[in-house]
Amino acid sequence: MKRGWITWDKTELPPSVFETRLAAVRLHLSHKDLPALVVYTDVWRSNQGRYLANFMPYWNRALLVIPRDSAPVLLCGLSPRVYPWIRSVTILEDIRPNMNLAKMCDENGWTKIGVLDLPQFPCDLSVPDGVDVPWSAIHPEPDEAELSMYRRAAKMAREILAEESPSGFDHEFVGRLERKYRRAGAEDLVILVTNGDTPPQPPKGLILGPASSISIAMEYRGHWVKIVGPGFQPAAGLLAGVQLLSGPYPYEYCHSPDLKPGAIFAAVTESAVNGKRIFQGGTYRLGPNGQELL
Amino acid sequence: MAEHGWDLLLLYGHTWRKDYFRCLVNFNFSGPHAVAAVDRSGDVRIIVSDPWDAEAIPGATFAPDFAAALPKASTVAIAGREIMQARFTSPAHVSATYMVDELRRVKSEDELIRIRQAAELSDRGYQYFAQVAEPGMTEYELVAEVEAFLKSNGAEDNFMLIASGGTEVVGMKPPTGRKLQPGDSVTTELTPQIDGYWAQICRTLVIGEPNAKQREAFAIFAEARQAAEDLLKPGVNIADVARVQNDVFRKFGYGEYTGPKYTRVRGHNLGLHPDENPYVLEDVDYIVKEGMVVIAHPNTYLPLSGYMVFGDTLLVTANGCTSLNTAERKLFRK
Repeated sequence: MKRGWITWDKTELPPSVFETRLAAVRLHLSHKDLPALVVYTDVWRSNQGRYLANFMPYWNRALLVIPRDSAPVLLCGLSPRVYPWIRSVTILEDIRPNMNLAKMCDENGWTKIGVLDLPQFPCDLSVPDGVDVPWSAIHPEPDEAELSMYRRAAKMAREILAEESPSGFDHEFVGRLERKYRRAGAEDLVILVTNGDTPPQPPKGLILGPASSISIAMEYRGHWVKIVGPGFQPAAGLLAGVQLLSGPYPYEYCHSPDLKPGAIFAAVTESAVNGKRIFQGGTYRLGPNGQELL
Repeated sequence: MAEHGWDLLLLYGHTWRKDYFRCLVNFNFSGPHAVAAVDRSGDVRIIVSDPWDAEAIPGATFAPDFAAALPKASTVAIAGREIMQARFTSPAHVSATYMVDELRRVKSEDELIRIRQAAELSDRGYQYFAQVAEPGMTEYELVAEVEAFLKSNGAEDNFMLIASGGTEVVGMKPPTGRKLQPGDSVTTELTPQIDGYWAQICRTLVIGEPNAKQREAFAIFAEARQAAEDLLKPGVNIADVARVQNDVFRKFGYGEYTGPKYTRVRGHNLGLHPDENPYVLEDVDYIVKEGMVVIAHPNTYLPLSGYMVFGDTLLVTANGCTSLNTAERKLFRK
């Protein structure tokens, strides 16, 4: 769950970065003759709202509405008591305490509206005459600011894991990692472990040792990276899985040929050593010259 | 299922809301999607969207195309349909969410074992919170310490909010870089999860000696919390559990601070989700049953002290309720 330090460091992500991203949205809306785009966001599906407004609901869900001709609006399930905090960590000023999109469309005379990834919209939220706007249409590839954040996150993930050798009970090992990552500013963490008999799983009382692999998915200021180690060696072993990190979810299985240029993804390999399954992996960008380890 | 004419019941979970899936298949999947499909014969099929989850759950199927893999039948009911992506469902599907929610409200002995463990860990977690909090520490550093403690002691996860400061504080939120200062009220709700089940504790700590207004405010919260616990028992309407808390604030002239401008709920159910309904609110109509697990917390803003919290996880027994927490019921100080 999201409970770490959520903040907006404007030296990392200047407001101009978001202005450029919103301009791309508005240009697409203009081409498609749509008056606004609505973006769904919740506790675990927050990457897209974060990219466009730096908003991430630590709880509950929200709709980010980006009109073509005015400032973005957040229709929010959270209490107005936390609006000042939301304003302090996002580009948002106009925050409204309900998720009644139909009412907003009526008030603005919108007879149709763009919906980011319409087939993936929750079915209980009604969208009057929604038009699908695929994520790739407004986010063809990560921009430089985004890449810089991913690199910073990947570096943090690697450096902290390198400081800790898997040993002792898995819960205690995970606790040590939680302390280090969160003190370093990680917003969220999902740590899976194995002693070499299974793929990494949530801790369940294993004793860790030399055959252990640790999978760490870490969110740093809205940017998820994944590392599996220790001792990550790129391309060691057989490819065991690819997960998209720059989609709507923190990570999601992806068939590797389906990765689009610019995608940020985790690749995990598996090899057998003394009858144990050893997993290794890192975070990559699919760049113009192939995959680049971040 | 037979009574409702359902041929197939899908229990759907995604990474945020795993609870509908876990009420039948209690596995902490990585996600983002998992479904357990039950047919009228009782056979269960499990479909997950992550290959590592499929290896960990006996008999589960990994489906790269999750939407295409969802089982079909002439009449399909879905628990969790409301949170499903539109591409996973159709207008012909009906919601089984309310029915499954109702089944989940009364906990089995097996479930209570896990909730008691979570409550016990929340007590120890709060003791640790009070032990490590100190002036100069940032909110996020304090949360990092508590997260580490809870995970080290077996928590799957933890839901936690925090606030620090004085009368300017109107609610809790994720931790910030603010440093704790002498005189601060530091509020938190800790909600560790053990084997799927959550329990919660709410306490307030003052950095230094509490001032007269902090003590006055805490006395009101303590009376409100006690009023809820004195009333909570089978057959009581949950609205009245909220009303007796709010009446205490009204008696002291603070009735306006019991509404949505200053507070969210006066408590909620706990189980496989940390914020289950029915919510403890005066406009919620629900008759309490034995075996429900509820937190009653009169958490709100008061001009005396700023935001303050206080509450325990309560098990509804045959004749009343019992707290599953053992942490001292006091205004903590450091």
